[in-house]
Amino acid sequence: DGLQDLETFLREVKSAQASFTQVVTSPKREGEATARSKTSSGRFEFQRPGRFRFEYTKPFEQTIVADGQTLWLYDVDLNQVTARKQQDALGSTPAALIASGTDIKGLSEAFDLKAGAARDGMEWVDAQPKAKDGQLQSVKVGFRQGQLAVLEIVDGLGQRSVLSFAQWQGNVAVKPERFRFQPPAGADVIRP
Amino acid sequence: CATSRPKASKDTSFWSGRLALTVHSEPPQSYSAGFELRGAPAAGELQLTSPLGTVLASVHWSPQGAELRQGVQLTRRPSLDELTADLGGTPLPVAALFGWLQGQTADASGWNADLSRHSEGRVVARRLQPLPTAELRLVFQP
Repeated sequence: DGLQDLETFLREVKSAQASFTQVVTSPKREGEATARSKTSSGRFEFQRPGRFRFEYTKPFEQTIVADGQTLWLYDVDLNQVTARKQQDALGSTPAALIASGTDIKGLSEAFDLKAGAARDGMEWVDAQPKAKDGQLQSVKVGFRQGQLAVLEIVDGLGQRSVLSFAQWQGNVAVKPERFRFQPPAGADVIRP
Repeated sequence: CATSRPKASKDTSFWSGRLALTVHSEPPQSYSAGFELRGAPAAGELQLTSPLGTVLASVHWSPQGAELRQGVQLTRRPSLDELTADLGGTPLPVAALFGWLQGQTADASGWNADLSRHSEGRVVARRLQPLPTAELRLVFQP
């Protein structure tokens, strides 16, 4: 079931590269005909434990890099870099689910994990964040034939973000500098 | 892009993009987020989101007052300026935002906006007083 897939994934997939599409749908407001959704896409790479890179290329350029200590967020248009200590920023975010340590024990400190019902040709894990700050309502991880396929995130206000992965290459040698980030000259660097 | 931008009718409109606010205090404070702005200066909603699409904060205002929701936390203030000051360290000129995003000059005490790159979906506004000075950078779909 989904939980076994997650355990196998954490144990066996040490690194990976894939493309992703993200669709964020906000709840319909009265007076709006349909719910609004925004689609973005890019490349995703990770190396256990705790290093990953989300590179958004469409519709705007934005790079998120976790180098093991610091979580860097670079917005190209705004020419701004935000740097946060990784463990403060990652705690119960979905990215931790994919790129964290190699066993379920580490994850179950931040999430209540249980196998979800199979649907859409995938096995699922329901990850209920333990943090009661109400930021995240639920996170679901979908595996297709044991391969990470979808991440569904619903936040406290009902905004739903679905990340679908494709062109998955597991256990590839990823160059270490992919998980290093150097703020470009002239960029505004913030450390909140 | 894929989703066609709805024609913003005069009274209520919808804008989405990203904003970066920097206050040149000692030490400087900076804040950046995705935003969705709905409604009008008199009553509306500003939603701030993280890059992964989760909502960081949601501000609602009307003539009766303003409300800030962050996760389970709800904060009420008599005015929008007081509320946005809690959020970004300095009042956000939300009413003027509607004008700037439409490429019109809009007055907000102490702020002036550079609308020269509005057609490319870029506006930079600077607040000269009161000190400390602040800069608001907006990137949006025109």
